[in-house]
Amino acid sequence: MLELGPMLRALMRNKIGALLIALQIALTLTIMVNAIFMMQERNRQMARASGVDEQNTFYLSNTVFGENYPLQSALARDLDQIRKTPGVVAATQINAIPLSGGGWSMGLQTKPGDDVDGTGTAIYFVDTQGIAALGVELLAGENFSESDISWRERSSNKWPPKIIITQTLAEKLFEGDWKKALGQTVYINNHDPMQVTGIVKSLQSPWNGWDNTEHASLVPSQLENKGSRLFIRTEPGRRDALMPQIEKMLADSDKQRIIRNVKTMTETREESYREHQATNNILLTVIIVLTLVTGFGIVGLAMFSINRRTRQIGTRRALGASQWQIMRFFMLENLLISSLGVVLGIGGAIGLNIWLVSTFAMTPLTPGLLLVGCAALLLVGQLAVSYPALIAARISPATATRGRA
Amino acid sequence: MLSMKNISKSFATDNVVTHALRDINLDLAEGDFVSVTGPSGSGKTTFLNIAGLLESSTSGEYWLDGEDISKLDDKGRSRMRNQKIGFIFQSFNLIPDLNLFDNVDVPLRYRGFNAAERKKRIEYHLDQVGLASRMKHLPSQLSGGQQQRVAIARALATSPRFLLADEPTGNLDSSMAQSVMSLLEDINANGTTILMVTHDNGLAARAKRQIFIKDGQAQELRQGQHNIHNLAAV
Ligand SMILES: Nc1ncnc2c1ncn2[C@@H]1O[C@H](COP(=O)(O)OP(=O)(O)OP(=O)(O)O)[C@@H](O)[C@H]1O
Ligand SMILES: [Mg+2]
Repeated sequence: MLELGPMLRALMRNKIGALLIALQIALTLTIMVNAIFMMQERNRQMARASGVDEQNTFYLSNTVFGENYPLQSALARDLDQIRKTPGVVAATQINAIPLSGGGWSMGLQTKPGDDVDGTGTAIYFVDTQGIAALGVELLAGENFSESDISWRERSSNKWPPKIIITQTLAEKLFEGDWKKALGQTVYINNHDPMQVTGIVKSLQSPWNGWDNTEHASLVPSQLENKGSRLFIRTEPGRRDALMPQIEKMLADSDKQRIIRNVKTMTETREESYREHQATNNILLTVIIVLTLVTGFGIVGLAMFSINRRTRQIGTRRALGASQWQIMRFFMLENLLISSLGVVLGIGGAIGLNIWLVSTFAMTPLTPGLLLVGCAALLLVGQLAVSYPALIAARISPATATRGRA
Repeated sequence: MLSMKNISKSFATDNVVTHALRDINLDLAEGDFVSVTGPSGSGKTTFLNIAGLLESSTSGEYWLDGEDISKLDDKGRSRMRNQKIGFIFQSFNLIPDLNLFDNVDVPLRYRGFNAAERKKRIEYHLDQVGLASRMKHLPSQLSGGQQQRVAIARALATSPRFLLADEPTGNLDSSMAQSVMSLLEDINANGTTILMVTHDNGLAARAKRQIFIKDGQAQELRQGQHNIHNLAAV
């Protein structure tokens, strides 16, 4: 026989403690749900594919200090050496690394003119092996050929006639229909025409927090710079062995430069999202601590109220309550308090979420997550109260005649 | 309806063993009204607690209404208390957060009666003790005598065969004590067996049988006489 009616009326006569715990549960739900939601957003960001074959790629930087160094022929020699190494799939010179945080961006527009709005894109200068070295998938069009590759001097502002862009960028430029982009002319620097000769499925920019991080373009140019980067893709499983081997080979073959920063794409991803990961860990800690505090709060209130009601419990036992009925009494009482907390918490969680969404332009909370949060807190309440309830159940019925034993 | 054979109870605390009851033998018939007197600490409450299944004896046999109590688990003992026994306590033991209606409701809910049956019984028994008009009041809004009347209504609401009272008038002034005693006599006249612990010899003498407990041993006082014979010897 449930005792909801009398229990509610009795609770109304001792509101304060119950209300404080309900508020604590509400606050916990509010923060918990939104923290999980923020973690999910971050996890979703981290889960996005970069488009690069991250498991099997690495890169290194090549810094020349020799005077009158033959930059062009040395690059050709280095790439040739690397490409000939058994286990290497492809290699290219590149100006920037996806996810690394540093790179070059430009605006592209479909009509020439100074006052036409452009769409931002990351620029990767690569050669014919760019697509193969990154491991990106060419959806339409064709790769650059040898004759497309031109040398670009350090201060040059000239652009080659061809460009390969990502599907997302193509959709943005051509009203959502990427297939329309192929063969079209886009304008860089407001006026310089480039023809879209290929579309790749996905390739992220160097900046993981940028709204348009899926906007990237491949440009067929080699840089005549004293500092440059080489990007290398190996056969599966051979990356780690080839990294030191290629580093040594390059370093030994030419003493007028140094090879530095040999790094895998896996590490780059890890570094790129280190802050995300740390924030998630902090949020997780906050959730755990908050839940524990709430749990102990419930234990505390239950212990206090059981102590206060020792004689009442003994009397109930004398009047015929079994141990299980006493236990159920306190579990049910907690369920009532927690339910109030959860109802208040739903309001709080939605309120905080509305604020977060409007302030930080996030997507709104899903009802599913809110429900899971509610269920989790009700469960925490029941778990927390089960020990005090067990103690209550063990109070002897003789307490009714003897007072506190 | 009640039969105790060689019931003993000892408490062991901090290497000291207290023999609260020694070899109690007692048979109660349906409709008996027994008073229990004795000096403080002699074992009266212990005796009543064992009779009411609030604690169990250390040794001996106890049959209540044809059931061997030692064979019952906690659930069985709770059910037995709920269905067959009513309790009245010296300090009333009303639940302070519940109004009179809800207080009388407590054992009825454990019994599993439906709402209509419970309401009928609560109203009837509160009316019997003259407090039907104060059903929504809290115990703290009543005098001691009124609180004890509510406790009696609560004890009777489940229609128990056996009523146990530990100093039911101990916290009441003498006129209130008299009215509570008359109430108990009426209840007994209606067939309920009563076992009542009291310090008041006047009240004790109004019972049909008198038991005197001293140092954990019980003796029955013959009616109208001051001679004592040891129950254990019967
Ligand atoms: N839980 C317990 N642990 C240890 N000793 C106990 C316990 N309960 C009762 N006693 C002891 O058992 C003896 C009998 O106690 P009991 O309460 O039955 O006496 P009583 O006759 O009801 O006394 P009073 O008239 O003062 O109520 C006492 O010596 C008491 O100290
Ligand atoms: Mg006593």
